[in-house]
Amino acid sequence: MVIENPLPHFAEWFPAAAASWLLVVGVLIVAALVLGCLVSVLRYGPRLGFTVALGTAVSGVVDLVCMSPRRVAALSWLAVKEAIRRRVILVFVLFVVILLFAGWFLDVGSSEPAKLYLSFVLTATTYLVLLLALFLSAFSLPTDVKSRTIQTVVTKPVRPSEIVLGRMLGFTIVGTALLLLMSVVSYFFVTRGVSHTHEVLAENLRPAGPAVDGRQPLSGTTESSQGHRHRLFVDAAGKGVIESEFGHWHEIQVGGTSDKPSFEVGGPEGMFQARVPIYGKLRFRSREGVDIDRGINVGDEWFYRSFIQGGSVAAAIWTFSNIRESQFPDGLPVEMNIEVFRTYKGNIEKGVLGSLSLRNPRTGLIVEVKVFESKDFTPLFIFVPRKITEFSGADVISSKRETPDKGVEFSPPQNLLDRRLAERKEFDLFNDLVADGEVEVWLRCLEPSQYFGAGQPDLWLHAADASFEVNFFKGYFGIWLQMVLVIAFGVTFSTFLSGPVAMLATVGAMIGGFFSDFLTRLSQHAVLGGGPFEAIIRLVRQENLMTELEPGLRTTAAQMADRVAEAGLWVIAHILPPFTEFNYADWVAYGFDITWDPWIVVPALRALAFLVPVFVAGCFFLKTREVAQ
Amino acid sequence: MQSSEVVIETRSLSKVYRDFWGRQKVRALKALDLEIRRGEIFGLLGPNGSGKTTTVKLVLGLLFPTSGQALVFGRDATDVKKNERIGYLPEESYLYRFLNAEETLEFYGRLFDMPAPLRRQRIADLIEMVGLGWAKRRQLREYSKGMTRRIGLAQALINDPELIVLDEPTTGLDPIGCREMKDLILRLRDEGKTILMCSHLLADVQDVCDRIGILYQGELQELGRVDSLLKVRDTTEIRATGLSEACQAEIRQVIERHGGQVLSIGNPTTTLEELFLHIIRESEAHPGRRVRGGAGNGH
Ligand SMILES: Nc1ncnc2c1ncn2[C@@H]1O[C@H](COP(=O)(O)OP(=O)(O)O)[C@@H](O)[C@H]1O
Ligand SMILES: [Mg+2]
Repeated sequence: MVIENPLPHFAEWFPAAAASWLLVVGVLIVAALVLGCLVSVLRYGPRLGFTVALGTAVSGVVDLVCMSPRRVAALSWLAVKEAIRRRVILVFVLFVVILLFAGWFLDVGSSEPAKLYLSFVLTATTYLVLLLALFLSAFSLPTDVKSRTIQTVVTKPVRPSEIVLGRMLGFTIVGTALLLLMSVVSYFFVTRGVSHTHEVLAENLRPAGPAVDGRQPLSGTTESSQGHRHRLFVDAAGKGVIESEFGHWHEIQVGGTSDKPSFEVGGPEGMFQARVPIYGKLRFRSREGVDIDRGINVGDEWFYRSFIQGGSVAAAIWTFSNIRESQFPDGLPVEMNIEVFRTYKGNIEKGVLGSLSLRNPRTGLIVEVKVFESKDFTPLFIFVPRKITEFSGADVISSKRETPDKGVEFSPPQNLLDRRLAERKEFDLFNDLVADGEVEVWLRCLEPSQYFGAGQPDLWLHAADASFEVNFFKGYFGIWLQMVLVIAFGVTFSTFLSGPVAMLATVGAMIGGFFSDFLTRLSQHAVLGGGPFEAIIRLVRQENLMTELEPGLRTTAAQMADRVAEAGLWVIAHILPPFTEFNYADWVAYGFDITWDPWIVVPALRALAFLVPVFVAGCFFLKTREVAQ
Repeated sequence: MQSSEVVIETRSLSKVYRDFWGRQKVRALKALDLEIRRGEIFGLLGPNGSGKTTTVKLVLGLLFPTSGQALVFGRDATDVKKNERIGYLPEESYLYRFLNAEETLEFYGRLFDMPAPLRRQRIADLIEMVGLGWAKRRQLREYSKGMTRRIGLAQALINDPELIVLDEPTTGLDPIGCREMKDLILRLRDEGKTILMCSHLLADVQDVCDRIGILYQGELQELGRVDSLLKVRDTTEIRATGLSEACQAEIRQVIERHGGQVLSIGNPTTTLEELFLHIIRESEAHPGRRVRGGAGNGH
């Protein structure tokens, strides 16, 4: 699974994030005050203007502090009622209809049906719920203003903050109820959809070895179901095992007599997972044997993975920390999913050979534990046992790094290398290869002129399995956060825009939010091809992204304009919520556990960081607006 | 009933409607000075588009004045606190059509600080009072105009307000409804409430208001007690008892000498309609004439 922007843990993230939040909010407050004064002065003249602006600011703060829960509840109740009257339930009906149709075209015979089904329901839910949130929130207040019903409300002792919060809460309640309903229906749709058993016919099984006590061990395959079959073995004691295929296996009960056995196969097992991964920190080793941060670029536009050349000393190296014997008493379960880039086709049926080694970063001992064949993006599982007796090579090497200030450094220093460490026939994982909880996993490509590509999350340790059901609902939490943000933005925009415009503005914020990471990088000057103005020149002159623009007035002017635009982009990127961060659908579909820290806590706080200012802004917009205009 | 406490005060209150680009569209209200005292029924009278609703909305803080100031209970009109003591019946009842009568009153009632039992009691009483008991479970979308008006009134009274602002209270009501509405207004006044109502229907105003102001094209044209405004000064009506035959003959003679004919003798009252048409003719003849309604004026 691709994780382009790994989230830092709460403890690392919070102090800096809180500081930058305070900074941005501070800047926004000052900007709003200045703007408010300006507008007020233009309207009422300089003498009265400041008094009016300040008065509004103060009473706005009072509005926020003096909100009455009872009135907020009454207004939320109204929003819920309105949503029900607008037949929100139709969205649910539509969802069920979509699922019914999807039942036809979702191919249960594909190699990972669970992933397909999960991705589908999560995506469908996300789109439907976000669309609903958008329509409900963007049109509610404008409709009230247009039908003038708001005039009856604001002539009661109601504060603008209560109206805005009431709307936000009410629609959130409606959306939450709908989301819960959809998640339950989805859960049954998915589990039922991929559920199947296989028939086992005794006549299709062949003897496998000599009979014991008159019972014959058997092997063969099950009958086909959902486009696949499993291999199966029944030992002489009558215990059956069905091999894993297409990401799942089945339990099998063998009954009947020895000449006429009967078989009973259960439902699919292991299809829905919530694997708890431990990620390492990735670095690369160049063909020259020097440590570098990134590997080779094979010409991809996307820099997520970088590549190592086969048949050389180049390697992708993951350093894992805090590896404890208590957590992995039997050995290290390594899972990986790597890209294979072929410069010549070779035998496309066969994978490209690679190897996996473990290295002790302290002593430099490296043991090549496995040589494997890898096809493009086929998941591989390698279990490194506690006692390593089978291995294809061992050595002692130090890693070499060049830095401008310290020059060339070796770790461990070459004169401290103890070659005898590698001359053993057996290694112990924790005594020989893990040092203070740290161990390196080296990935190499063994075939010259072929390449392996990897990003940091492409190789990980399968630490444990969490509950799939809990994980499934955690995935919905991400959708819920997105929904709440859409509602908040929709309501705030609708406090001063008409319905359709508010909707467009919210969609704009969402789309901008999807690209907020790109906008940030653009504003930090970290995108190839320069800022927007430089990009226009490149477009017009058909220059590619890498060439230097020819120096001159035009280029300088464009680059100056870009500096200005970058400041604007920085602000925009910080105002719009990073929607992609709340999208956990992939995690559920690919079967990874969504850990509380950081994946629930940090996005929840981030969402809150957006919600609070957006809400406050909505209150002020509504307050300074003539609702009867 | 009337006390000297000023409930609503406007100080050269003006409103200019502007369009999206800030260009001036309509000067709806021009420097209005008014004082409305506790316990009186004040009627704002004027033809359609004369600025009555604009005045009311400025007083309620629904609009912000272009210049001048509106004070309610001595506080600025945009202060939310004042709303606890106000009931407002808008021009048309702007109510949520997806709620039924009970839910409507329940919703608006919850916006006020009052204990739940009291709220429930009041909802029941009000529904009873406006005579909608038979339709209280029906959604307002199914209501006729008159029924909406009634529930609108009930909504305005939910907090037992001290000041009641009624914008065209009788439109959409049948004659019986009109009569009931007027009786209700008088009853509310007798309970000590202050009422500001505006209307283009002269009959309404004539029947119930203590004082009226006549607005025309955003300007206050006339202000005063209804009885004194309706007195026709250039006509004399004499009704007397205890005059001797001789005296009467003398008076008749005087009149006849001046070419008059005696019908009865005294100061007659005109109808408001005539007064109204007269003011409009006057105003068109002398544009810019305006009455100031400061303290003491118009009594
Ligand atoms: N929202 C508005 N935008 C522009 N002009 C308005 C608006 N509301 C009222 N007006 C204009 O202001 C004037 C006074 O309107 P209004 O106060 O509603 O009159 P009345 O209630 O006496 O019939 C009218 O000319 C009307 O067209
Ligand atoms: Mg009006």
